[in-house]
Parts: sequence; structure tokens; C-alpha cells
Amino acid sequence: VSDLLWLTWTFLWLSLLCVGGGVGVIPEMQRQVVENHQWVTAREFVDGYTLAQLTPGPNMLIAAFVGYRAHGVPGALLATLAMFLPTSLVTVIVTDRWQRWRGHRWADAVERALAPVGMGLMAAGVYTLARSALHDVLTVALALTAALVLATRRAPPMLVVLVAGLVGWLLGA
Amino acid sequence: VVRRRWLRSDEFVQDYTLAQLLPGPTVSNLAITLGHRLAGLPGATWALLAVIVPGLVVLLALAILYFARGLAPGTASLMHGMAAAVVGLLLVTAVRLMRPVLVTTRAVVVAAATFAAVGPLRLNTAAVLLVAAGLSVWLHRPGSRP
Repeated sequence: VSDLLWLTWTFLWLSLLCVGGGVGVIPEMQRQVVENHQWVTAREFVDGYTLAQLTPGPNMLIAAFVGYRAHGVPGALLATLAMFLPTSLVTVIVTDRWQRWRGHRWADAVERALAPVGMGLMAAGVYTLARSALHDVLTVALALTAALVLATRRAPPMLVVLVAGLVGWLLGA
Repeated sequence: VVRRRWLRSDEFVQDYTLAQLLPGPTVSNLAITLGHRLAGLPGATWALLAVIVPGLVVLLALAILYFARGLAPGTASLMHGMAAAVVGLLLVTAVRLMRPVLVTTRAVVVAAATFAAVGPLRLNTAAVLLVAAGLSVWLHRPGSRP
């Protein structure tokens, strides 16, 4: 039971660090759930993120994936609640006030100041996932090809990911 | 915004910025902000549930399959291929989001320092966040020059 509490607490804490999008919290999440608590392996973590990406809804549902591995369905539900409920309450409370503050010069300064911090965190998240996911020439080539195809906006992301999976399966990545 | 005209496009952009700034996943924050704007607290609650519950059900099913190793023996290489493409997707998304933000020297410096600290240096995200946010707000204080 105490580990279940740790799981809930960990995702609650992680949700508060999701500034500027969910990817930014990936480095800290990986450290907590893979290294500190060892609820999943590094490979399972990146696979879980991939499945969350394929699933409709926020990618931070990876909380459910990790929670399920650690403590079954109750773990999944608690981790998801911890990830989404508290920050949702903050959002409801702040939204109203922020509409009034907006236009104030300090409020604008804070908005402009936090955006690049969020971008740095996001880049670190991509870096962390890349370190686990790109482990040989084939995976690097797949990632670069996928990026090039997606940059042209000619193919839907879901299709590109599924095709890459197929290629990986055929070539034994 | 485009199809149902529930709100104006500038309202949407405002709410999106806010959803990114506030702690918590952007998509759920955005759903709450929009739901709240349209229908108050019940709107916010329903919007949150609508964003989370379907994905949760699907992902839970996938997690059960994944950990039961119920898929074919080729699952591992299938996952490796898909994970690689997801990294490519994130790369493209990150570059797209960064382009309008990283237009001043100070923004680039703040982003690069945050990346180095959390990524390669593997420092504690909460500590980096506090320092970087404080520094960045000071750099962007009203009256300062870019």
C-alpha cells in the first residue's frame, strides 16, 4: 500500500512540473519511475510513451501505463487521477483571475519569460526519449525519415508511426 | 473554433497560452479553460472527462496487452520502430513550437540553458525550473530590452 501512495505522490508532484507541455516532464518522470522506484524499465517507459502517443488524448496518460505496471488497474487509475485532478483544480481557479491580469505588464512579462523555459524542458524531454529509443543505425534512420516526412505535412503522424513500426518489424529493429 | 464557432480565435490563443503556462498537461488544461469559458464549472468537468476517459480506456487495454506479451513475438521490433518514429514526430513538433518563441537572444539563452541542465546534465527539474523561471522573468521584466 505504501508503494501505491508513493506512486500517487510521484505523479502528483510530476504534474506540477508540466510547465509548457507534457514532454518537458519526461526527464524527471524517467528518473523517478525507472531509476528511483523501478516501476518500469527504460525500454518499457519509452514504449509506454509511444503507446500514449498512439492513443487519443493527452500523452501524459503514460501515468496510467506506469501505474498499471506497478499496481494493476488501481495503480493506473490513481496515477491518472494524481496526474490530472490537482492541476485541473489549479487551472479552474487561475483561469478567471488570469483573464483580469492579462494586459498587465508583469503578467505579459511572465508569459513571455516562461515560454522559453518550457521550450528548453521540451527539448530535454525529446533528448531523454531519443536516448532510449534510438539505439542503433536503423532506429536513428527511422526517426530521421519520420521527421523529414512529417516536416512536409504530407502524411498524418499516426500513419507515419505505424509504417515505421511495420518497417521495424520487417527489418527486426 | 473553426467548425462550431464557440469562441473567437484570439480567445482560443489566449487560453492555449494559459494552458501551457499552468502546471499540468496542456491538453487537459486547455479543455478545462475552454469548457469553463463556455459552460462554467460543469463545462470544465465534462471537458476534462471527455479528453481523458476515452484515451485512458484505450491505453489501459494496450498496457494490459503489452505487459501480458499477448501480441506476436515481433512486438519488440514493432515497438522499436514506432518509438523511433515518435521521437521524429516530437522533434518536428518541438521545432515548430520553438520557432515563434525563440526569436530573441535572451529567449534562446534561457531555452538552451534549461535544456542543457535538464537533458545532458540531468539536474533536478524542479530546481532548474525555479532558477530558470526566476532568471527568465528577470530578463523579461517590464522595461527591459530584448
